[in-house]
Amino acid sequence: MTISRRQLLGTALTLGAMHAFPGLTMAQARPLVFATFTGSWEEAHKDVLVPAFRKSTSNAAIVLDPMLSVDQISKVTAARANPPIDVMLHDPGPALVAIDNGLVQPYPVDKSAHYKKLLPDAQVATGPAPFFQVVGLTYNPDKIKQAPTSWSDLWKPEYKGRVGITNMNSTLGTGFMVEIAKLHGGSEANIDGAFKAIEQLKPSLAAVAANPGQLATLFQQGQIDISPGNFNAIQILKARGVPVAFVAPKEGAIAFKTTVHIVKNSPNAELAFKLIEAALSPEVQTTLMQPPYLIVPTHTGVIMKGEIAQVLAKDFADLKKKFVFQDWKTINQQRSAWIEKFNREIKI
Amino acid sequence: MTTAIRPVTTYDTRLAWPLGLAFLAFFVAPLVMLFVLSLQADPKGTSYGLMQYTQFLGDLFSLGVLASTLWLGVKVTALCLLLGYPLAWLYLKSPPWFRTAIILVVLLPLLTSVVVRTFSWIVILGRQGIINEVLRAIGLIDAPLRLLYTDAGLVVALAQVQMPLMVLPLINALMRIDPNLAEAAAALGAGHWRTFRKVMLPLALPGIIAGCLLTYAAAITAFITQTLVGGGTMLFMPMYIYQQASTLQNWPFAAAISIIFLLTVLAVVSLFSALGRLSRGHAA
Repeated sequence: MTISRRQLLGTALTLGAMHAFPGLTMAQARPLVFATFTGSWEEAHKDVLVPAFRKSTSNAAIVLDPMLSVDQISKVTAARANPPIDVMLHDPGPALVAIDNGLVQPYPVDKSAHYKKLLPDAQVATGPAPFFQVVGLTYNPDKIKQAPTSWSDLWKPEYKGRVGITNMNSTLGTGFMVEIAKLHGGSEANIDGAFKAIEQLKPSLAAVAANPGQLATLFQQGQIDISPGNFNAIQILKARGVPVAFVAPKEGAIAFKTTVHIVKNSPNAELAFKLIEAALSPEVQTTLMQPPYLIVPTHTGVIMKGEIAQVLAKDFADLKKKFVFQDWKTINQQRSAWIEKFNREIKI
Repeated sequence: MTTAIRPVTTYDTRLAWPLGLAFLAFFVAPLVMLFVLSLQADPKGTSYGLMQYTQFLGDLFSLGVLASTLWLGVKVTALCLLLGYPLAWLYLKSPPWFRTAIILVVLLPLLTSVVVRTFSWIVILGRQGIINEVLRAIGLIDAPLRLLYTDAGLVVALAQVQMPLMVLPLINALMRIDPNLAEAAAALGAGHWRTFRKVMLPLALPGIIAGCLLTYAAAITAFITQTLVGGGTMLFMPMYIYQQASTLQNWPFAAAISIIFLLTVLAVVSLFSALGRLSRGHAA
């Protein structure tokens, strides 16, 4: 049979239109899109959270789209009326930006079974916190025999040429700078002391990584032996046999309250609620607390055990005492100015 | 004869409308939207004006970022040309089986992802990487050199990543040169160097300019390699735009930087094209 050009063009254009405008084909609703963090978080959520979600919703379709907090905000801002993401995961700084820009729906607290049992700090109406990220000192135990005890150990002359830091684009970098500022009489409102301290650190600096993920690569390559680091980011490295260990400095490890939000105008608000419920449930949080994930829980029903109890905190009261919680509202006000200042001044 | 003869050597311009409209809708319109965004005075969009442009052009730091990006492109293009021309020449003079091998070696980087190639450079340039290990084994150095996160390391990595873009146009140009011309020059008494300078180089110039153009444009916009091999302290235009847009959510400033970068690259491209036109006159 011969196909005329008219028929071919018509068919091709129709197929194209069906692809570009799915509403025309009355396709099924899109799957729940969960924007989790990249790296070990994605693996942890894929292994534990997704099966728990599937069980509670009898196999609803879910897709993990890993990306950084700031990229999630960009994507949702670009398409507010029809957001490409249904559930967002945010560091404390970007979380405030997302809430201020009206990108999130308040969490239906009354319908939730687990919300009231979370730590008081983790109960946030705009989006509860399913876990804490913990930042302290990460070092190579093969090369550095004496474990560091304080942030100021980074300045020790024996670590010359082996120290790594990140720039302030990330939550890790900004939180670290605020802590250093506090050591030199500053606070969340004034980090000039930190900039002076980093100037003095320059001879020891082996690398200023463009993002926290690069720090992991640098440990692996032996480029750096000590750096501020995220407790969970090194778990994957440890699992692969790279010598790296975490220690909480005596000033207190920084705890970032990571919050999960339902995006405003999401077509899957009900499924999003179920996903967050699964993330807050004590069963999921207990599983995530075990190795290799080692994610710090926020549900008071979870009993802290294992490596988290040994390295970080024995129970929730201990957690509140030992961890440092930063005021991101104050930090956010000056963050862009600080990033620009870091760009200009810190060059190795 | 009063009937007009329909011109058969030209096409009806109406045939170009479908593609033209697609071009207008998906390329020109977003560019116009970007330009309008760059005219906003602040992220909330309260007023319009040229503030973002004056902020960029009046700021020495930003101009420094632009200058260092353009200079990086020059260095990478020069290195690519230096290494690529002999490779293209080798291709020309090889028997067919060796030509296939060269083409495979040249095309192989294009078949792997840029990210993979860049990470392999991190392994090569690292403290325990190949270069440092070899130098230590020979005994030239005691402590490992710092090659990663330096300017030289970045230029070398970018040159390798963009090499196919230089070699392929060069091969194409050199193949088109009539081999009899070189022989004629030799018969007339010109040495190798003179033949190269007076005969081969002018004839190959269009190809050289095409290769340089592609390599330059690719090198200055190579976001991934610049960030992974350059590190957190070397700021170039692509990372600057990303930082302003994503991390700081300052979309108008990021749009202004993008437009300025686009205009700069267009200026460089026009310069290369003008040189190309001149050189073709040379060759004709």
